[in-house]
Amino acid sequence: MTAQNRVARYGMSIDIDKCNGCGACMMACAVENNIPPAPEAANDRRGVTWIRVYKVDNHLAYPERRTAFVPVLCQQCGHDTPCVHVCPQQAVDVDPQTGIVGQMPERCLGCRYCMVACPYHARYFNWWDPKWPAGMEKTLNPDVAPRMRGVVEKCNFCHGRWHAAQQKAAAAGQREIDAADYVPACVEACPTGALRFGDLADSSTEVAQDAARPESFRLLEKIGTEPKIHYRSRRDWVREIASAPRPEGKDGLRG
Amino acid sequence: MSLPQMTTTRRNLLKFAGGGAAGALLTPAPWRLITDTALWSENWPGIPRPARGEIRARFTHCTLCPAGCAVRARCVNGQPVSLAGVKPHPISHGALCPWGIAGHHLPYHPARVRQGPVKEALAAVSRAISQRGAGERIAVLDLRPGRTVSWTYRRAMAAIDDGIYLAPRQPAYSIDLTEAQTVVSFGAPLSDGWGTPGNVFAARANFRLVQIEPVETRTAALADVWLPIRPGTETAMAAALAGETTIAEAARVTGVKEEAIGAVKEAIASGPAVVLAEDPASPLMNWNARLHALGRTVVARREAPIPEAWKKAAPVNEMAAAPDRAIRLLLIDESLPGGYVPWQDIQPKLAADAVVVVFSSSSEGYARHAQYVLPAPVYPEAAEDIGPAIDTVAAVFRIAAPLIAAVVPVVNPGGLVARIAGLPQTDPLRERADAIHKTGRGMLLSYADGKSTPMKEVTADDFWKTLNQGGCWMDSTGKKAAPHGLGRSVTSPTPHDDLPLMVVAAEVRRGGLESPLMSKLERESNLRMTANRVVISPADARSNGIESGGRCVLETACGRLSVVATVDAGVPAGVVEVAGGPRMADLCGASQRARVVRA
Amino acid sequence: MVFVDKEFITRGLRRSSTGRFLLWILPWVALLGFGLYCAGLCLVKGLNQTNMDNRFVFGLWIFLDLTVIALGAGAFFTGFLLYILKVEELRSVINSAVVIGLVCYSGAMAALAVDVGQPLRSWFTFWYPNVHSMLTEVTFCISCYLTVLLIEYLPIVLRNRKLHEVPSFLVFEYELHKVTYVLAGVGTFLSFFHQGSLGGLYGVLRGRPFAFREGLAVWPSTFFLFILSAAAVGPSFILLTTWLVEKLSRKRLVRPDVFRRLASISGLLLAVYVLAKAVDTLIWINRTSPGTGFQAWQYYSWKPFGTWILIAEIVVFGLLPALVMLTPRLRAHTGWLVTAAAMACCGVALNRFVMTVQTLALPTLSFDSFLSYFPSWQEIGTFLAVVAYGVLVYSFSFRYFNLFPEERELRLEAAAQEEAEPALAGRY
Repeated sequence: MTAQNRVARYGMSIDIDKCNGCGACMMACAVENNIPPAPEAANDRRGVTWIRVYKVDNHLAYPERRTAFVPVLCQQCGHDTPCVHVCPQQAVDVDPQTGIVGQMPERCLGCRYCMVACPYHARYFNWWDPKWPAGMEKTLNPDVAPRMRGVVEKCNFCHGRWHAAQQKAAAAGQREIDAADYVPACVEACPTGALRFGDLADSSTEVAQDAARPESFRLLEKIGTEPKIHYRSRRDWVREIASAPRPEGKDGLRG
Repeated sequence: MSLPQMTTTRRNLLKFAGGGAAGALLTPAPWRLITDTALWSENWPGIPRPARGEIRARFTHCTLCPAGCAVRARCVNGQPVSLAGVKPHPISHGALCPWGIAGHHLPYHPARVRQGPVKEALAAVSRAISQRGAGERIAVLDLRPGRTVSWTYRRAMAAIDDGIYLAPRQPAYSIDLTEAQTVVSFGAPLSDGWGTPGNVFAARANFRLVQIEPVETRTAALADVWLPIRPGTETAMAAALAGETTIAEAARVTGVKEEAIGAVKEAIASGPAVVLAEDPASPLMNWNARLHALGRTVVARREAPIPEAWKKAAPVNEMAAAPDRAIRLLLIDESLPGGYVPWQDIQPKLAADAVVVVFSSSSEGYARHAQYVLPAPVYPEAAEDIGPAIDTVAAVFRIAAPLIAAVVPVVNPGGLVARIAGLPQTDPLRERADAIHKTGRGMLLSYADGKSTPMKEVTADDFWKTLNQGGCWMDSTGKKAAPHGLGRSVTSPTPHDDLPLMVVAAEVRRGGLESPLMSKLERESNLRMTANRVVISPADARSNGIESGGRCVLETACGRLSVVATVDAGVPAGVVEVAGGPRMADLCGASQRARVVRA
Repeated sequence: MVFVDKEFITRGLRRSSTGRFLLWILPWVALLGFGLYCAGLCLVKGLNQTNMDNRFVFGLWIFLDLTVIALGAGAFFTGFLLYILKVEELRSVINSAVVIGLVCYSGAMAALAVDVGQPLRSWFTFWYPNVHSMLTEVTFCISCYLTVLLIEYLPIVLRNRKLHEVPSFLVFEYELHKVTYVLAGVGTFLSFFHQGSLGGLYGVLRGRPFAFREGLAVWPSTFFLFILSAAAVGPSFILLTTWLVEKLSRKRLVRPDVFRRLASISGLLLAVYVLAKAVDTLIWINRTSPGTGFQAWQYYSWKPFGTWILIAEIVVFGLLPALVMLTPRLRAHTGWLVTAAAMACCGVALNRFVMTVQTLALPTLSFDSFLSYFPSWQEIGTFLAVVAYGVLVYSFSFRYFNLFPEERELRLEAAAQEEAEPALAGRY
């Protein structure tokens, strides 16, 4: 029974100028969503990091080198959501009430086609069965089911917390959830305030106002997926480098 | 009359079975069974099920670093399952760092020290004490001084003849960031492990940060200005900024453009400023006197009141002050991650057959050198208090109340040392709380309801209860005093021709256990450097024949370490970036110079 | 034993002795065993046994599956040509084509069963199908087509000398024979769609501008290009395999005309495909890709994927073999034919490789790096199991079933010729 009448469009605004790359968001996400620590053989190409902070730089050598940190998570694409279209089992859907793109690990076949479709590399496959050191399984969050190997998973804006907020509102007889009751783990944990979460459809929220700022941009906008994660930076080179394919001539890696 | 006989033929049976099957398909049963297999295929044996139970919030403080951020733990049947900050807290503002977020995993760390030779260690300790020779000392090395248990150690060393209390030098000052308009940081990692993160980020918008260091650390990346100086030329830069030398001279020595230095000098002159250094005891701190920062942005460090009887405690000494080859028994409290004194500084102070006992949960620190390693409680198992952080201006008293009982048999270092010294077996935390209560000063902030109550209106018992259930005592700031003593002089390391690279710690590592989930930041992404990773410039890589990702050896005057190298054009030539930690501290020691060769 | 074995071999055909046959299949059985062990490792321990990762989620298996399905297209296309378009020469290779198709499709399905993370949930696609997904379409059509192939394979099996003696088999096979045309039609229809959907898998990827194509309604151009290339390469592969089997068995199995027919069909379709592909590539370079913010030259600036790969796919392994197979003078020589057929097959393999592996290797986010991938021995072993399985099934089929109806006729002709002119006997 949902308390909410209003249709929300949850999104985030991320201030790259504030992100110091500490990784608290990545840790809080792993704690909240029962993501296991990596097995010995894992590396950054096989890890499961629903939110991942990338170290980005302007491709210049010292001392002109400048670094920034860009947290990337599921962009909750709002138009022609690539992963929703391609899943052969309908294991991915867009919640019409919240706009959140949800993944059902129990339905997932592990074909990984959705991972091919996602240009943001926001989806992660469980290459191993989850294993926690002895005793550490006591610290698992009871609100989230651990997944076994062979399924794809991704950020779902801590959908479990939205359900908890709904239940709380319903118990109190309210029709709308309290915005303070629904905050994803990463946003709650961010010590610098770089991550902000809210309803983009409500123009009074900070997130909606951040999205309207001139220095605000989204990743791969031209592809047309209408992501709901709005990044912003006052540094020109950050906006240039983060919102498009690599600018010409500034990349020593190319052949 | 006989009833007609009906024979059941095979055909009848087949018809019945077929009809039954077709009929069953019209019921929900087979379809439900089919969809249920989805659930069966999800919950295979071996996948742990989270325990369910009553969910409550409990409050404590994080003891993983001197910031002591306030923590709200979400507990299921009393077991913490996640940690978050306390948003309305006036110092930490609800912020936790990545280590603090997953601190509740530490008791279950697979590499935790789970047992130790307690009986043998105690026997060796008694022997060492009773059989010590003339001039030989009994020492406690406290790696996290400033706690209440530090007073216990000092009292114990006063009670024992020839006792000496050793600790890494603590700054005698605190930094008030709220007063600063410009912060000139010589490598102090303001955005990544300095002071209290929440406090720094809350004040950040109000000051201009000038980061002066040879590599672009996280702090430099977010600073308003980053001056990329040549390694080792900080003093020249500070001299120019203070007006003692010319900007042109500084530009020549440091390699930074004159306009940049000039702009910083102007900024300093235009409002209250403060100079910070990577090493809080660095002589660079003395420049603050020139900036008129003393008593304003740099103030005397304040501790919470202590019982009168404690004032007869042993004085605080640095390791260097200890006499050589005189320590017969060394007890090292490494139970909290903190400052690390390189082993080569300790070794010369030990007597010939010294007994070294370390209380630790990690095998990476002094466990590599000590004879006896006794398992210590780990956060959040132990009742502790956290001394003031470098950016805490007012005196505070906060207790890290234990959230769970120790999961392995542990030895409480404070209790043990008190017993050895014959101190009365009381609860020093309670004693101190009572002493604070007696002064009647300050406010009590309780986390559960966010209320702030003047101490005069709180009973001693309520005070103690609130401290243990999530609260902190904060003294009124009062008049800020100028500190006594800032930095001390250090001998500059002699350059070695055969050790051409300067070692720079790009990341702060406190040593001690880290949650296994830190693999997210270290191995499952490239966000933080692992302990065995070094970064060098392309020029240095070329001259040593090193490829990115290749195995190398980091060699210093004190030893060698097998590492993996990353080649990055963002690193200046002549520098090797490392992640800190005890192993690196032992390896680099005071000289901070190294070379990297192919394995 | 020898006595029993001989009774299963079609009357009038010569096959090697049982001992020699066992010697032939032994290494393939060993390879199959090793490959099954590799697949077993992947199923029991999980897909961490492969070298695939979150970037290269499709690796060797998907690439080879796509290639093998394209090569196995000869089954449906030959059926279409023979039963619908009445190209009678192809009757001599239709059985072999069906076996090859069966082997290709069943092997691909087996590899896919290992490739997915939860093989026990394979039926979910049928239970919760997503009508918007190309992969749903692929799953349905390939499953149906595999069934069709099995049904088409049945008559070949049932016409075995011994099995034909069983009356019910005889009747059943006769009845099946009547519906061959239906089967061929259904097979063509299903194949059209799944070959196309396999192309559609990549063409609809809005998030991968390298693979994304515009097209007709919901079908991107890759849908049609994949159908064309599969139809083009199917006859080439049949040509190639028939020639290989002739070489290995040292027998004449088909008339040379058949090779030339297969080649001309293949060449024509390949030429049409190359034209279509060239037009599509030009549209992609000038309109589709820039519209997503990615300039085409950027894809080819990542080593080792330079523009050489585009030239190789379309010109070297596309246009050249098409021209060879269309030139009657060159068609007359078996050597040219076989080389051209092999090159055409390589061209299609290269196309499938580009669509799977290169698509995944190329960065999308500007701060991505270019990564590389090489399959692990478990992956290679699993695929070798598929190859071994294919060789074994084909070997058994060749030995016990009448795969090449003209073989007996040709053998008698050769024997007659040998009697008449001993010096000119045989082709080898």
